[in-house]
Amino acid sequence: MHTLQRAGRRLLALTGLLAVLSLVFGPAAGAAVQTPHSASGKSYVIGTDTTFAPFEFRQGGELVGIDMDLLRAIAENQGFEVEIRSLGFDAALQALQSDQVDGVIAGMSITDERRQVFDFSDPYFDSGVQMAVAENNTEISSYEDLEGETVAVKRGSEGEAFADSIADEYGFTVKPLDQSATMYDDVKAGNSVAVFDDYPVLAYGIAQNNGLKAVTDKERGSSYGFAVNKDQNPELIQAFNAGLAELKASGEYQQILDKYLAAPETAGQTSFWELLTDSLPALMKGLGLTLFATALSIIIALILGVAFGFLKVSRRIVLRGIATTYVGIFRGTPLLVQAFFFYFGLPQLTGQPIDVLTAGVLTLSLNAGAYMTEIVRGGIQSVDPGQMEASRSLGLSYFKSMRKVVIPQAVKIMTPSFINQFVITLKDSSLLAVIGFAELTYQGQQIYASNFRTGETLLIVAALYFVVITLLIKLSNMLDKRFNK
Amino acid sequence: MSKIHVAGLKKSFGSNEVLKGLDVEIAEGEVVCVIGPSGSGKSTFLRCLNKLEDITAGKVVVDGFDLTDPKVNLDQVRQHIGMVFQHFNLFPHMTVLENIMLAPVELKKLSRPQARNKALELLERVGLANKADARPAQLSGGQKQRVAIARSLAMNPDIMLFDEATSALDPEMVGEVLQVIRDLAAEGMTMVVVTHEMGFAREVSDRVIFMADGFIVEEGKPEHVFGSPQQARTRDFLAKVL
Ligand SMILES: Nc1ncnc2c1ncn2[C@@H]1O[C@H](COP(=O)(O)OP(=O)(O)OP(=O)(O)O)[C@@H](O)[C@H]1O
Ligand SMILES: [Mg+2]
Repeated sequence: MHTLQRAGRRLLALTGLLAVLSLVFGPAAGAAVQTPHSASGKSYVIGTDTTFAPFEFRQGGELVGIDMDLLRAIAENQGFEVEIRSLGFDAALQALQSDQVDGVIAGMSITDERRQVFDFSDPYFDSGVQMAVAENNTEISSYEDLEGETVAVKRGSEGEAFADSIADEYGFTVKPLDQSATMYDDVKAGNSVAVFDDYPVLAYGIAQNNGLKAVTDKERGSSYGFAVNKDQNPELIQAFNAGLAELKASGEYQQILDKYLAAPETAGQTSFWELLTDSLPALMKGLGLTLFATALSIIIALILGVAFGFLKVSRRIVLRGIATTYVGIFRGTPLLVQAFFFYFGLPQLTGQPIDVLTAGVLTLSLNAGAYMTEIVRGGIQSVDPGQMEASRSLGLSYFKSMRKVVIPQAVKIMTPSFINQFVITLKDSSLLAVIGFAELTYQGQQIYASNFRTGETLLIVAALYFVVITLLIKLSNMLDKRFNK
Repeated sequence: MSKIHVAGLKKSFGSNEVLKGLDVEIAEGEVVCVIGPSGSGKSTFLRCLNKLEDITAGKVVVDGFDLTDPKVNLDQVRQHIGMVFQHFNLFPHMTVLENIMLAPVELKKLSRPQARNKALELLERVGLANKADARPAQLSGGQKQRVAIARSLAMNPDIMLFDEATSALDPEMVGEVLQVIRDLAAEGMTMVVVTHEMGFAREVSDRVIFMADGFIVEEGKPEHVFGSPQQARTRDFLAKVL
């Protein structure tokens, strides 16, 4: 999602210079441990991304990855404490700028723009683009072999920029996709013959048995650094640099890299059951959010549906017009567009930031409310008009007649449609994954983004939806039978 | 003062004028039957008498209330006018007893127990005391219509309107419903009865109104309208139905 921000210009000379400087001054910084401005003994809050395997991701609920292991090892080496906050890439940078965290480590490229506002550590990782093909592919081993073929890249990534730059020369077509996991699946399915991706991401995928193999050397790319606010916490940068130098010298640095990037010695993929037990806690959390957002949205939609449904059967043309306009707008536009609008568009129009749960529930409830309106209108209109007339002829008012005579009959007619809408809204909530709402589908995506077991993970996700929806339908039908005999 | 006073009543649906200027006076305790060919406006006329239809022009005064006056509380007026429909229009989600109790309880005419006693009494009167807890769906057509009559009587109306109360019934059930109406007539209820049952109209009514094409073509005592009709249209119609 934020590959664009990561994309940085490579500053080869500068990086080299920094590396030399760190070697010269590193031990000095390490020796300054006892001065009052030392990081030792202090505690720092560090922000990071949610999932950017292999740099940071969750494994069995635990935050792991190159960044995490490295940071913890350096902290231990230099005697300071870290508290890690998994915020998301953009949010972590914002938190840093507003002093909510002391530093950020998030697979972040060192760029000139970022240097304006942050102080960076020595580069702790050199990235670069690499090409990979399916494990069993023996025909493609160099750029020359790509003639007339299609290659997959991640939209907005350095891999895409690099592939575009050589596509004409080698005569291949570039196909941009949104996620690493999707790219790899595209290659395995034979839709593309190769991928161009960041070397660590690719190496990690291969280490996870994603079914690919790297066939070229990595192209030159950017370097990653640890950042603090400009001119703040200089002792933290010093400590980081010192620790990094010591870990490199001791070989521990290489061990951490190998842990995530080295090709697997054995085909040590975990079993399906292990995948299930590992992923279930996160998926259940997602399912909880799915149910919460759906239930909240359905309640709001019900209120909207009743209100607008009554306007729709009103005798006043203006009231009918209001309801018709509302229904028209929300039935006449895709849910996805509505979600994007509320999450990205509305804050731009109002200047008020909106959190993802609010935007999600707003989208779902307004959308479902439009359908509910039609259900309510249909239900009321399907009650024989003679019922209303008989009630009015007895002297009951319009509203009393509605409440006592028409609505009880309409509700009975509407119940199956209500249940249906509930299920539809529950399924629609999965679309909110695109705005980063951490519901079930989103959690699934996060999981296969780090383990590349797309098929199995999606099967588990689908099974969870299926079970919940089946139970819901059973329960609803039971209630329907009980109250609408 | 007459119980129902209708002057120059016109009713149009869009550009279709269905009632073309009716003048009718109905006295207290009078039983008036309205007959005429299909589409002549009989139902529309009846529905104007409790303003189930908006009145396009003219005046309708019932019980001293001018229905065309927007300030008149229609719900109040309707409490005194019972109406019985061709298709019964019982409330299917309520029992027979609840159907009858609804209006008196909701409109705070009677307490629940009072309304219940009243309902049972009315059911007794229409011969359905044993059906109090049945649902409308469990009743025959004739039984349904008798419940519908009991329902409109629960508000103690002083006018009853019947719109082809027996047209939807199997022949063997017509009699039981007509008997209930006959009894009401004998008790002195003011009634306007739209019907296709010519024999019944002749027997029960004080006056017969023959309508055609939105006009009142002829009216008078039943023996006159049926025995020696003055208008060709009336004679044509009676020749077809008798
Ligand atoms: N709600 C309505 N909207 C439009 N036209 C209507 C409506 N109700 C009645 N009409 C028309 O008004 C005319 C008179 O209808 P009405 O029901 O009063 O006739 P009727 O004498 O009761 O006939 P029937 O003996 O068939 O019941 C008919 O042409 C009918 O189509
Ligand atoms: Mg009629």
